[in-house]
Amino acid sequence: MDFLILIVGLGIGLGISLVFHYRQRQQLTKILEIAANGPAENASFSVVSRLRREIARSRTIQTELELESEVLQQALAIAPIGYLRVDAENQLMTCNPVARQLLCIDRWHPNRLRLLLELVRSYELDRTIEKARQSQQVQIEDWIFETTPLAPISGNHHTLPLRATCIPLPQAQVGVFLEDRSAITELTQARDRAFSDIMHELRTPLTSISLVAEMLQSRLSGQEKSWVERLSQETNRLIDLIQNCLEISRLQKNPKQYLKYEEIDIKSFLLGIWQTLEPLAKQKEIQLNYVGVDDFSFWGDNSRLSQVFLNIFDNSIKYSPVQGEIRIEVQHQENRPLSDTDPLPWQTSENSWIIIDVIDSGCGFCVEDLPHVFERLYRGDPSRTRQTLTENPDPGFSNHNSSGLGLAIAQQIIYAHGGTISAQNHPTTQGAWLNIRLPNIIYS
Amino acid sequence: MTLSSTTNSYAETTHFQRSLKRLSQEVLRMGALVERSFRLSHQALFARDLEVAQQIKPLDKQIDRYYRQIERDCATLMTLQRPVAQDLRLLSAFMHLVRDLERIGDYAEDLTELAVKLFPYPPHSCLGEIEAMSNQAQMMLASSLVALAELDAKAGQTVKVMDDTVDLAYDRVYNTLALTRDFQGVVEPILLLGLTIRHLERMADHATNIGQRVSYIVTGQR
Repeated sequence: MDFLILIVGLGIGLGISLVFHYRQRQQLTKILEIAANGPAENASFSVVSRLRREIARSRTIQTELELESEVLQQALAIAPIGYLRVDAENQLMTCNPVARQLLCIDRWHPNRLRLLLELVRSYELDRTIEKARQSQQVQIEDWIFETTPLAPISGNHHTLPLRATCIPLPQAQVGVFLEDRSAITELTQARDRAFSDIMHELRTPLTSISLVAEMLQSRLSGQEKSWVERLSQETNRLIDLIQNCLEISRLQKNPKQYLKYEEIDIKSFLLGIWQTLEPLAKQKEIQLNYVGVDDFSFWGDNSRLSQVFLNIFDNSIKYSPVQGEIRIEVQHQENRPLSDTDPLPWQTSENSWIIIDVIDSGCGFCVEDLPHVFERLYRGDPSRTRQTLTENPDPGFSNHNSSGLGLAIAQQIIYAHGGTISAQNHPTTQGAWLNIRLPNIIYS
Repeated sequence: MTLSSTTNSYAETTHFQRSLKRLSQEVLRMGALVERSFRLSHQALFARDLEVAQQIKPLDKQIDRYYRQIERDCATLMTLQRPVAQDLRLLSAFMHLVRDLERIGDYAEDLTELAVKLFPYPPHSCLGEIEAMSNQAQMMLASSLVALAELDAKAGQTVKVMDDTVDLAYDRVYNTLALTRDFQGVVEPILLLGLTIRHLERMADHATNIGQRVSYIVTGQR
């Protein structure tokens, strides 16, 4: 009897311990799965040794990652551009020495979270960070960072053109790269100044050369006369070129001041310009096709805008095939809020726009040239580079074209009006397609 | 102690703490905006840059929006959360402080309008002194905003001392303008300059108020 009880007792004990053992094994397997991130391999080894291996493996990975992150942090610390990171509540988490120097952050402590705005009172930076977080897209902002000194003795105004590139990071964090743009801004200004100075210096002697040539013309005859005529024509072409360059510089400096606003009826305005070019168009039997609003007027500088469209039409005629068609589409768009990314020199609050598309059926722009067509003196196709007056019957319209300044001037004039201009190739006609957007403002 | 550390001194951040932090951020953002406005008006007046007149109008609208929103949020927090001690002082100071900021923004907008009217006249001889006044007032605003971020109780006193300099400059320029004799031409430039120094003096006063409200938040004394 006693023996039976012993056996039963042993059996129960064994059973319980087996159950426990099984459970523990189950749990260890689970832990192993968690550690190994999925079902573990090498099932032939015991669970404990597999677990030990797994722990050792993850420790190695951890050390590697720690090393990696340390290297990255060191690289960021000595990077030549500024870097900072803010969390979801706009608290500054890290910033490298360059960022601290650029943004004059002198009260930051790595172990204390503080709002970025407490340390850097820059509305532009704050707004760009917020924009990157909302849109979850990289945002780039150029602005001039200014700080006011806190006491009359210590220091002066700190003014620095900066570029911030804000990158959305996980957990609503935002990383910001900061670049100092003072060197490039200065260089651009110096280049523009030198350019316009040279142009000024060239204009005076050229004017006298042209006058002398004109005087000579009346005193010479035969072969010599035609040479001097040629000289005079080329000199005038140079003077025109210089005049245009100077105009671009002036428009860049004070865009608004050079505009004389008046009311313009869009359809008759565009058709009027076409009429001046009709002789050229007739030679090639080119048709104009106007599509869009009738009886719509807007405010703009008549003579400057005429210059823009003369240039564009002239180009279109020049590059259109015989019996081609040039299409002008004019639309009026209301209440389309201006996106912040439009490259406007300043922001207009207007929501009403006039959109003018000029599409020709010529060969279009070279795809590689498209980003540069609005640059000064840029020439795309080398075969078009030299077009002297002899090839062009009407010098009145060819001067802009042969100088490579036409589209640059057009862009400056459109910018001065607060609008935009862009160039591309039309998908159906394969010809050049210029899209012009002008704000419809009532100018008083 | 700093502005954000008052709001995260507790181990667990409550809804109230988070709201308070968001509110402080809005106040600082508004401060940055007002500072920018002030800078633009300075540019219009002394660099004769009239383009800024176009930029300052939307800024002022934005400032007004912040002002109304912050005031409303403060009132909501006060009624719903019943803050005590420093939190209460912070909220009530915020309510007054945004009013001061909003006034500075308004004066900045007015200054650009004065700059547009002054533009056709040749620069007056005391323009240099007025520029110094404007610089001083901007410095005071910056100091007050830093004091707010740092919750620096002593800054109120410093800003007050700076305000005395502006007041002195105001008296001096006022006398120069008022006692002009044998003046040729229209009096408009003199009038405009008088208004300008008056605006700058008021802006400096508002900046002083901000500095003193910061002291009140920290010490509870006024």
